[in-house]
Amino acid sequence: MKVNLLKYLLLFFFATALASCQMVKPYQRVYLNDYEMRPGYPGARGFEQYVFTIREGSAGGGGAKTSGGCGCN
Amino acid sequence: MKKRYLVLGLITTAFTSFGQVNQKNYSKKQLSHTDVETVFSYYNQNNDHSAVTGGIGTEDLQVYVTHLSLDNIKDSVRTVHFDLGFDVISSASTDNIDFVLSSASKVDARIYTSLGYSRLLQDKRTTWGMNSSFSIESDYLSWGQSFSINHLSEDQSREFSAALQMYFDDLRWGRYQFDGTRELVYPSELRTTKWFDNYRRNSYNLALGLYQSINRRMALGIYPGLTYQSGLLSTPFHRVYFADNSKQVEKLPGRRLKLPIGIQLNTFIGTRWILRTYYRYYWDDFGISGHTLNLEVPFKASRVLTLTPFVRLYSQNGSDFFKPYAMHAISQEFFTSDYDLSNFKSTATGLGFRYAPYFNKSRTTFKALDLRFTHYERSDGMIANTITLLINYDKEQKPE
Repeated sequence: MKVNLLKYLLLFFFATALASCQMVKPYQRVYLNDYEMRPGYPGARGFEQYVFTIREGSAGGGGAKTSGGCGCN
Repeated sequence: MKKRYLVLGLITTAFTSFGQVNQKNYSKKQLSHTDVETVFSYYNQNNDHSAVTGGIGTEDLQVYVTHLSLDNIKDSVRTVHFDLGFDVISSASTDNIDFVLSSASKVDARIYTSLGYSRLLQDKRTTWGMNSSFSIESDYLSWGQSFSINHLSEDQSREFSAALQMYFDDLRWGRYQFDGTRELVYPSELRTTKWFDNYRRNSYNLALGLYQSINRRMALGIYPGLTYQSGLLSTPFHRVYFADNSKQVEKLPGRRLKLPIGIQLNTFIGTRWILRTYYRYYWDDFGISGHTLNLEVPFKASRVLTLTPFVRLYSQNGSDFFKPYAMHAISQEFFTSDYDLSNFKSTATGLGFRYAPYFNKSRTTFKALDLRFTHYERSDGMIANTITLLINYDKEQKPE
């Protein structure tokens, strides 16, 4: 029941977010183009994300590369 | 009379003077420039759950990272990417493969490089790219190849991306020994048995992305992925101790399917605050599932200075194949005592500092300096710290 509620909340959140999309003209993109608004892990975030993929079972989903690799130390 | 001469003089001047001299040898030239990123990182961790010694023993580890990344932007269409990295790894756990302590800890090195090319197509909204990579460490060698495509919608509010990455790894030991020795290395007391026939590991990743501007201050990204791995997925020098006091090398299935989906929502609040939120759900057929929640709040203290406190929460349901030291039954088909695959929760907290003056001198622009500190705690007792320094500048090439 708890999981179902979470699913519905997420669905509602994304439906609301996507339905409220507004046209943004190029001269109105000052906030969207800011460095800190970039998607993914810009700047110095890359190495710590790589460490997380080694120290934890999860990987991928917009993060660092999900290579086979070693990471066995 | 004077007016006549004045008007005549002005008309004559207007017809005989030229604003620009017609240069017949003029030719249009593209100015290329190179974006340079240099990264230095230091990582340390400690705990007493090393998989090399079957889930007990030191995991003391230090890694020193030096990484150079170059993006040579030839013109508005072509970009060449080059990466070169060198990590020095000082690991107390891998020193226990032989139980002969050669030093305070075993020292290893990882060298990696990649070369890529991307091109903007004629529609000015689609970019394709390819990248080849190579990585070597004493116990593995990896070749990688990736292809990617990005497409921006006409109003620039939406971007689709897709990347296919392939990695081909060879897990034989002895890459830095030039006597030709290439073999899987097992714990010293278990070398009488040949535990694995295969020494290759192949990974295929499909990474998709949709990035959508919601309004002037908010953008949403959705990142589903699919990873398939096959070959030797066990680490050959990981010991497993069984309940009956016998001992074997870690054994995991030869195939693994991973399904992650990440969702990122970035919001600019007021004129100084940004809220970066990220959630990921992960599932794989080893029985691992995980929830990741990442919150960052960059604060623009001035035009050039940004401070970013952040917290990352992670919860993992462990693999069906994991059990702690001496808890496995000998009848099990697959077994590991690697705590990275166990049930745990982790918290990472830290602070980022970014100084971005965009200071220009001659043909060089100093773009930014990033400093980031992360403290990581895992519920099984692991504590780790990372500090990273990134220096970013841009060098414009002289026109020929």
